[in-house]
Amino acid sequence: MLTRKIVDLVQNNATELSKAIVKQILNHPTTKSYRNIDENALFQMIYDICSRFSYWLAEDNERGEVKEHYRNLGKHRFEQGISLPEVISALYLTKRKLWEFISADRDVNSSLDLNQILETSFLLVRFFDHAVLHVTEGFEEKLKEKYGYEAPLKDPKRFAEAMAEKEKKMEVMKEEPKLPELCFTKGMIRLEG
Amino acid sequence: MLEKMIEMIEKNASSMAEDLKERLLNNPDTKSFQTLDDKALYEDIHALYSRLGYWLMRDPEKGDVRSYYTELGKRRRMDGFSLSELVRSLILMKRHIWDTVLQKGIMDAPVELNSGIDLITYLNRFFDFAIYYTTLGYYKSLGVNLT
Repeated sequence: MLTRKIVDLVQNNATELSKAIVKQILNHPTTKSYRNIDENALFQMIYDICSRFSYWLAEDNERGEVKEHYRNLGKHRFEQGISLPEVISALYLTKRKLWEFISADRDVNSSLDLNQILETSFLLVRFFDHAVLHVTEGFEEKLKEKYGYEAPLKDPKRFAEAMAEKEKKMEVMKEEPKLPELCFTKGMIRLEG
Repeated sequence: MLEKMIEMIEKNASSMAEDLKERLLNNPDTKSFQTLDDKALYEDIHALYSRLGYWLMRDPEKGDVRSYYTELGKRRRMDGFSLSELVRSLILMKRHIWDTVLQKGIMDAPVELNSGIDLITYLNRFFDFAIYYTTLGYYKSLGVNLT
């Protein structure tokens, strides 16, 4: 459970934090395509995370709403023409800014308990791990839909072939090494039974 | 204290690499790892665990972190993996390291908690870039005119 102090710290500063994050995303070299999308919509999306920090980081949302929300975000960004590495980078820039903000407090006035900071960092990391994973899944769905691309090993037949190939290689490795055939040269005596 | 935590991971690199290998092989969401050579998979994991300090202290934005993971993304794409499996495997690896630190119970005193916060910061920084560059390598190697 998130501590009230940290929740208040983030939620009470949601507007300023969101503005700083948007600014960073728009200026960062790894997220250039974000300059082509509506800045206000980007702000709103980040503001939603900051202003409802406790809601998003709650464990119950991990599999349900977070999954749905970020899968859809992955699809939406695909349609907006933003590449997946850029989407992932934007999520990490958001996480880093939030983490810097929370952890800075331990250096300034130590008003936050170290245990609370550690626990929050764990929840923050877990939330963004899920966000990145589900954004990727949403993107992959769109790749399949638009370009017909799906990872070959997703196909059971290809998977079975890859496994058979691996088995074959293992068999070769298991075989006892054969000695080279003896070659009799002039002057050698062959002893026959 | 941070050094002590890293040293503990490095000392247990062999058993930890074996453990993570088994987890990847048995997880239905990372099924493609079953098609890799078991020994090579173990060695890949061991290479990171046994030199964790070296990797965490590198500048992850450039140099060998960048080139290793960009190449890994390309290679696994050629092997037929999905990108979400790769992302998941790196997340599992990060959690595996963190869980081991927690299990060993070396974060009770305040000084240890501070080091714990430092470790989680370093781990995240490293794996954020690892995931980013793996994605970049995979994505570029698709070779079609994607968005």
